Amino acid sequence: MKQSYDFNIKQIKNLSQEEITSRQKNLDLFYESGFPSKQVEDWKFTDLNLILNKNFESISNEVNLESNKELKTIENFEHNHIFLNNGKIISTSFSYEEKNKILIKDFDQKETTNLDLGNTLTLLNNALSSGGFSLEITKNYKLKKPLVIYNYFSKDLKNKIINNKNSIKLNEGSELILIDYNEGHVQSNFIKNTIDTVSLDENAVLKNILIQESKSNGHFYKYIKGSLEGGSNYENYILSSGLKLNKIEIEINLNKDNSSCSIYSALNLLEDQHQEIKTRINHNSPNCKSYQKIKNVLNDNSKGVYQGKIFVEKIAQKTDAYQLSKALILNDNAEFDAKPELEIYADDVKCSHGSTSGSIDSDAVHYLMTRGIPKKEAVKLLINGFLDEVLENITITELKFFLQEILERQINGL
Amino acid sequence: MLKIKNLKATINEKIILKGLDLNIKPGEVHAIMGPNGSGKSTLANVLSGKSGYEIEGEINFEGMNLNDLKIEERAQKGIFLAFQYPLEIPGVNTNNFLKTSLNSVRKARGEKALDTLTFLKLIKEKAKELNIDEKFLSRQLNVGFSGGEKKKNEILQMKLLEPKLSILDETDSGLDIDALRIVADGVNSYKNKENAFLIITHYQRLLDYIKPDYIHVLSAGKIIKTGNADLGEQLEKTGYANLG
Repeated sequence: MKQSYDFNIKQIKNLSQEEITSRQKNLDLFYESGFPSKQVEDWKFTDLNLILNKNFESISNEVNLESNKELKTIENFEHNHIFLNNGKIISTSFSYEEKNKILIKDFDQKETTNLDLGNTLTLLNNALSSGGFSLEITKNYKLKKPLVIYNYFSKDLKNKIINNKNSIKLNEGSELILIDYNEGHVQSNFIKNTIDTVSLDENAVLKNILIQESKSNGHFYKYIKGSLEGGSNYENYILSSGLKLNKIEIEINLNKDNSSCSIYSALNLLEDQHQEIKTRINHNSPNCKSYQKIKNVLNDNSKGVYQGKIFVEKIAQKTDAYQLSKALILNDNAEFDAKPELEIYADDVKCSHGSTSGSIDSDAVHYLMTRGIPKKEAVKLLINGFLDEVLENITITELKFFLQEILERQINGL
Repeated sequence: MLKIKNLKATINEKIILKGLDLNIKPGEVHAIMGPNGSGKSTLANVLSGKSGYEIEGEINFEGMNLNDLKIEERAQKGIFLAFQYPLEIPGVNTNNFLKTSLNSVRKARGEKALDTLTFLKLIKEKAKELNIDEKFLSRQLNVGFSGGEKKKNEILQMKLLEPKLSILDETDSGLDIDALRIVADGVNSYKNKENAFLIITHYQRLLDYIKPDYIHVLSAGKIIKTGNADLGEQLEKTGYANLG
């Protein structure tokens, strides 16, 4: 079945005529090619058009659906929070922080973003985006507790697409742990198309953690574009198991000396879940570091994809770049695809990449079973051991426990 | 406790055990000695339930047919095998493994699972008895452990799970004299009237520290001689060759 589109710009609130015209242009361009299929190189392992055709009869944009859920925060974990419904701010709380250090408001839709328009999902986002947030941390302010962004969704999202843009800016010397937390089991098929623009000024530090907390029929696409100034550090953790489809594209621009980024993922995919992580790290300046460790466990007929590109500009001498993907394939019907790419124009660099996939060590399973541990538990213990490694650099005990618990729940199938 | 009758075991169409009989009662320590390739480790593997073996004959443990029990059930019912080569398992935290193991066994026995704090207190005590540095417990299971540390870790698991029958497969190999003494002390302090040991070894030296009630000589898949502790010393002098 081929789905039909019913995208409506005029129902989006508070748009000027000028904005409507500009949005319509983007939409017209989107219609020319539609959702990306595997013919598009960046989508060769995730044929979005095919997947959507299979799962959606029609697609229309979400317009001001009611949020009717009771809002609940995570217990036994001290944090600030923002509640979003379909990407729109409902409430915020920064009770652990000093006043006037954090600016949070609705995303200004007039704000232009410098994004690749060859990506039709960007065009669609430009045409239909509403809601979203804009977060800014003032100079030298280090948040005392993590900030959790709770993503809630309306009950009836069947055949809907949500488009959001968010902006996250850390001014010089500021620090933030940002947890993007997807709540609630959503049964209906829906799409979420999000663009996050991250900008880190000198010596700013951001830990950006993406968590899925329940099984969901959501089909998610997220584009994170980060720009890093000197001495700043961006760390990304992806713990998003549970989604029917998820593609996370991360583009990090290391624009000034001594900036660094790392991307870690730990995924345990079940059933027909499909997740792709696509990264592009641009080393645009000397003495920058990037590190990527992608770990996937593939059960049933799930599919995992990693496309990782490291790009080193001619001036970016003394670059230190590393990427590794490892997959544990537990079922003959499961699949893992990796496409590592290095494009290097500087001559004094340290770049390495590797990719391995294999099955679970049956001798290890036997050993654990001789200690009274049933096979299923033994396998889980080994999966946990395999994935847990990506959390090894988290030194904040509270945060580590919190993430370890999430990971354990994901390994148990949520 | 353990009654083995005419046990035959075949792997990859090669018959290793060719009709073995063994009878172990509570409170007894049995040693099985024999040259390389006589089937010592096969016996340990078969008792632990390792897959790949074709088995004939009877193995009865505490009134149960052992072949009907899954690997983990054997452990839960009280059989423990200390491995000749304990596995290194990257990523799996030793404490976490020990706790999962103990609680699986406790659950099967109808006992309450221990919470983390109670468990940590218990494991610290047990580790201390074996002179194991606590730091090892927070490391990945056996990863980077020396031969002696791995073997001590096996004995720690034995003491934690409190099995009825402990099978020690070449536990003395790779141990220096101090580690050997600690391991032997560990075994001796656990030994009582209710439990039993089956010690598989190539050499006499472990038996200097853990005194067996019976020594069996295994050769070409069969027990060819059974004696008391003196048999070990005799073998040390004359070797296996003279037994025919």
